[in-house]
Amino acid sequence: MKRQVPLVLCFLFGVVMCFTQFSPHSFSQSIYDEVVYWALIMSPFALAVGTITLIQTHVIRIRRRTEHWQYSFVVFAGLLTMVAIGLPFGPQHPAFAWLFNNVQVPLDATMFSLLAFLIASAAFRAFRARTFEASLLLISAMIVLIGNVPVGDLIWNTVLSWLPWDNGASEARQWILGNPNLSARRGIILGVSLGVISQAIRLILGIERSYIGGGD
Amino acid sequence: MIKTTQWIAVCLILCLSVGTAFSQGLSPPSNVTAMDTPNDNGSSITITWDAAAEGSGISGYQILRRIAGGELEAVGDLLPAGTMNYVDSAIEKGTTYAYIVRAVGETEATVDSEQTGPAEGTGEWFHTGKTPLFIAMLLFSAAIVWNIYNARSGKEVFVRRIPGLEAVDEAIGRATEMGRSILYVLGLGGVSGVATVASMTILAQVARRTADYETPLRVPCNDPIVMNVVREMVKTAYLEEGHPDAYNEENIFFLTEDQFAYAAGVDGIMVREKPATVFLQGSFAAESLILAETGNSIGAIQIAGTDSEHQLPFFIAACDYTLIGEELYAASAYLSKEPMLLGSLRGQDWGKVLIFGAIALGVILELSGIPWITTLLQRVN
Repeated sequence: MKRQVPLVLCFLFGVVMCFTQFSPHSFSQSIYDEVVYWALIMSPFALAVGTITLIQTHVIRIRRRTEHWQYSFVVFAGLLTMVAIGLPFGPQHPAFAWLFNNVQVPLDATMFSLLAFLIASAAFRAFRARTFEASLLLISAMIVLIGNVPVGDLIWNTVLSWLPWDNGASEARQWILGNPNLSARRGIILGVSLGVISQAIRLILGIERSYIGGGD
Repeated sequence: MIKTTQWIAVCLILCLSVGTAFSQGLSPPSNVTAMDTPNDNGSSITITWDAAAEGSGISGYQILRRIAGGELEAVGDLLPAGTMNYVDSAIEKGTTYAYIVRAVGETEATVDSEQTGPAEGTGEWFHTGKTPLFIAMLLFSAAIVWNIYNARSGKEVFVRRIPGLEAVDEAIGRATEMGRSILYVLGLGGVSGVATVASMTILAQVARRTADYETPLRVPCNDPIVMNVVREMVKTAYLEEGHPDAYNEENIFFLTEDQFAYAAGVDGIMVREKPATVFLQGSFAAESLILAETGNSIGAIQIAGTDSEHQLPFFIAACDYTLIGEELYAASAYLSKEPMLLGSLRGQDWGKVLIFGAIALGVILELSGIPWITTLLQRVN
């Protein structure tokens, strides 16, 4: 029973939601909106569950004095401060907005900006021309890099001025992005789409049931 | 006497207006029809008319409508000359409307079309424009279902080797030998994301193996609902493998819903705990490289998989193995070797053959000047 009910519900909702995509009638659209609305209702409950789990995790860390357990106090300080201001005064309160704009946003930006350095280190490894494929990747990457900056065309038009093509760097970049790159991407997208449909059918028919704990 | 003068003035004005209209060649819009807009929920009526001839002097059109027995009212703004249809979306369901298209001349002179017949907005149960898509979906679904049930007969299904999945046992064994944990990252997707569900099914298989080897499995979650589902899945896997005592609920925990805070949290776990194996499976965005590079820096064996095609190059550059796109969805079948799941993979391949066939046929037809498939695809759009 514990397994059958979720499977039956999954089948019913899967089939109905699929057909709402093909039916513009207001009745089927209202079913779709209603189900999406139900999903939204779950969010506050999920937030409560998440907060409780977060508190539990950090209480355990402090109690067991695990490595860097002191930082768990920072989590509690942040949580309590934002709740103490946000709950009675709302998210529009200047103090809440100030904390968000001057603490969270810069922290997020800091993490995001790390990407620039990580891309460089990952590219260094990926572009080592040890195999034929890696050499192709390196050459393509260099062309795209040079084609992306205005100086690329300047170099082309100056150094390779004897060639019959102008602005060859940006043209070559455009060709790489628009042909081999786009073709490969579309191939992946097609495969992903078929995979998604296949996965959905397995879920709807109850063949794939590990998400409810597996077994029969 | 005054009345007679007024009448003469009105007649003169009318004659002048009609005269101006005729002198400009302003003719009323012809073939005006009003009908329910097809393939909608009954919230609009489409009015169409023939294009005015060149040099007709028409500068625009005004749509007028009337509820049965009611007054004429203008609908929307003045439409530019050259317009041949208008969709009236401001209608009430169950109400019948009649329309007149008023042509407005360059000198503000106007001339009205004949009133259309009554039209009412009705919702359609099936979107006929999506018929090819619907048929394709039915065909593809039928292929998968047929292969799934055919696989039950015990026929062996060939599945090509997927190195990323072959390495799962090796990666778990390595963590066990080193006495370190395994970190499984499900990405940013919610429980409604298909990639997240696919990732959870791989996690179930990984959990079965970690239960056998009694290797700690750590799962930091980005979504509280995903966390609860994962806890239940991993618990069941440990129970079914006969090691319920090895299951530790605290190892599956909620970190944060914020993208970069989640990346920072997972990076922190990697740096502190130095897991021997890192699985990055699911839906990822800009944080993918932050996670993969940190995992690389601690020397963990990394198996990544995502359907976000923009993040694939990052995983390929920074991870040991990467499941590309559809391989993520094939992983559950591949790892469990369950015939019915493997059958669905064959159905998926049939779909691919069908699509490649359509692409080849489309190219040949297009080169021969027959745009059938292009037209069909444009109609679906």
